[in-house]
Amino acid sequence: MNRLRPLFITIALLFFAGWLGFVAYSYLELGRLAPQVESDGSLPPLQSGSAIRGAKVYAAEGCMTCHSQQVRQPSVTSSDIDRNWGKRPSVARDYLRDQVAFLGTSRIGPDLSNVGVRFTDPAWYYRHLYESTTVVPGSNMPAYRYLFKMQKIEGQPSEEAVSLTGPHAPKEGYEVVPTEEAKDLVAYLLSRKQDYTLPEVPPVPEK
Amino acid sequence: MSHESSLSQVQAATNFSEPAPLHATTRAEIDASLRFPVLLFFRTALFWLLFGSILCTMTSLKLVVPCFLDGINFLSYGRLLPVALDALLYGWAIPAGLGISLWMVARLCGRPLRCSKLLVAATFFWNTGVFLGSLGVLCGYGTSIPWLEYPNWASVPLFIAFLLMGVWIVLLFSARQPRSIYITQWYFLLGLCAFPWLYATANMFLTWGSIQASAQGPIIAWYSANIFGLFLIPLALGIIYYLIPKITGAPIYSYYLAVLGFFSLLLLAGWSGMTLFLGGPIPVWMVSASVVATMLMMIPVAAVILNYAKMLQGQVAALKESPALRFIAFGIIAYLVATLLNLAFAIPTWNGILHFTHYSNGIIILTLLGAVSMVFFAGIYYIAPRLFGFSWLCSCSIRCHFWLAVVGLSLMVVSMTLGGLLEGLALDDAAITWVNVLSFAAPWRWLNVIAWILLLLSYVSFVRLFGNMLFHATHPDQKVSACSFNSLASVS
Ligand code: HEC
Repeated sequence: MNRLRPLFITIALLFFAGWLGFVAYSYLELGRLAPQVESDGSLPPLQSGSAIRGAKVYAAEGCMTCHSQQVRQPSVTSSDIDRNWGKRPSVARDYLRDQVAFLGTSRIGPDLSNVGVRFTDPAWYYRHLYESTTVVPGSNMPAYRYLFKMQKIEGQPSEEAVSLTGPHAPKEGYEVVPTEEAKDLVAYLLSRKQDYTLPEVPPVPEK
Repeated sequence: MSHESSLSQVQAATNFSEPAPLHATTRAEIDASLRFPVLLFFRTALFWLLFGSILCTMTSLKLVVPCFLDGINFLSYGRLLPVALDALLYGWAIPAGLGISLWMVARLCGRPLRCSKLLVAATFFWNTGVFLGSLGVLCGYGTSIPWLEYPNWASVPLFIAFLLMGVWIVLLFSARQPRSIYITQWYFLLGLCAFPWLYATANMFLTWGSIQASAQGPIIAWYSANIFGLFLIPLALGIIYYLIPKITGAPIYSYYLAVLGFFSLLLLAGWSGMTLFLGGPIPVWMVSASVVATMLMMIPVAAVILNYAKMLQGQVAALKESPALRFIAFGIIAYLVATLLNLAFAIPTWNGILHFTHYSNGIIILTLLGAVSMVFFAGIYYIAPRLFGFSWLCSCSIRCHFWLAVVGLSLMVVSMTLGGLLEGLALDDAAITWVNVLSFAAPWRWLNVIAWILLLLSYVSFVRLFGNMLFHATHPDQKVSACSFNSLASVS
């Protein structure tokens, strides 16, 4: 008998056990979660086309390398909720509408799962993305100036122009406007809200 | 060496003794057949090692000096970091590990390689995949899935190339001359079977996007843990089992420990990844299973390390003389430290503080560049002179490589774990604003930059040495290095 065979079979079986437990279970159970149907629509809410395109920009720019999108269970740490990153822990169903779950593994910057609740003004996001220190002094978030274009003001200044003062202001007669990518990205960020209730996760009582 | 009398039942099923030394002509034949492909593996791997560590140094600097190369799309932090880490994993570690295991399998099986052209083609495919993938991420087609950032089309050449290389090793296996299978081959078999499975599953479900986002978390954690735990670490452990007896002449200390270490690793490693999302949006039972598995991982780790330690006991002279052995010794220590750090990370209340800080990245870097890479360097130090046919040209480069790597990695671990702990404590206190947390972390991140620079220098000195060897192999009459000839690694 070929002695390689028992070894190979043991490896395959034990490997398969872990695969079944984590991968197959996820596929069969978590992969078939359905939206929660309410009288006024379903939860989590559907996303706009712009937000879905924005998720691609989020992926391409690697925002995930610095930002997580998960509020942890209070049994593990209460700081996520204390920091006002969410009213309740995130659950698998919250990601139902996403193409990719950007759960994140490191937090060089704050968690973004509810950033759309904290900041609702697109203009704030544009300024922050263009140069974060203009809105958060001391920030070390990279500047995404390449998501904007500098253009000559013709006639009326554009309504979308980013309001910038000080050293980052554009030259006289010029303005900074967001590109389509920046607009999609901001639509995506504005859609980051886990502010609804799902039956599997009751809201955490306020302290 | 045969230990037939003490064999347990398991070994009776799979005869376990070390293969008898090969005849010198067979050895020469094997080495000749492997010279070109294996050196090609090493050359490309070293290129990506340099590339990856340069980018890592840049990203670590960007964290503390955000205006460094700021506002250029393909040089932004979020694009550079994945390219850097993937280059270290797919560009450096995997080809280096494959090259070494190919050589060892050929030696253990007593068979020269046939049709190496296909293998060369596979290397070409593989590196094309890594290159196109990196380019894709830099140009903004990254997926932002940990360890799978390359755009999905890049996974195709990578997968095909791996299968080609794997087929080669399997063919060598089945044609092996001694029918026994040495423990090294067990580990290689595990690693080489695990990778295609891991990579195919993860790509199918994640990058080719056939699964709902709600189910992606566990698969991400499963892949990023097992690519180390079931692939690179087993390769490294197998290499150590091969090299220590070869270099010191000491036999394996205990076959029982070796068997225990192998099967408990196989049983547990696959279950240990979910601590990555402890407290996160994945089922609680998965996390509990992983916490238990991570704790139990002490068994395989203790078993192999005890075995190695006993084999290395009293080998001070060999440690001084053989660079490969020194690298192995440090690799073993790094493996132990990484396991302990992982253990601390799996304790839920500690995880609450340590998670998302530099601590967890520190474990990854220590595993990749310490436990795995140091052993791979040892393998290259052992194998390359046999392929070149002459010994390493310069002992000070080797010393430079070793000590800079040791100091750099130690500094890295200290800065990332201690810095991560402080960062975590600051994060845990919601009264401390984010910008203040940054100022807590900043000194440690500076330390991290210094650590990367040291590591980079260490790798540069190795690449230079390797380059000199290549040059000397093609121009044997020219003097290449100011360093005197030194018979550090004897050619057997
Ligand atoms: C180098 C790491 C890094 C990268 C990459 C990064 N950020 Fe940030 N981000 C930070 C840091 C640090 C902060 C906290 C300081 C601040 O608010 O500017 C932050 C804050 C934010 C905030 C404000 C959150 C809050 O609650 O105050 C948003 C929104 C944000 N980032 C979005 C993004 C987006 C979108 C991307 C990708 C295009 C991105 N970030 C990439 C580091 C990063």
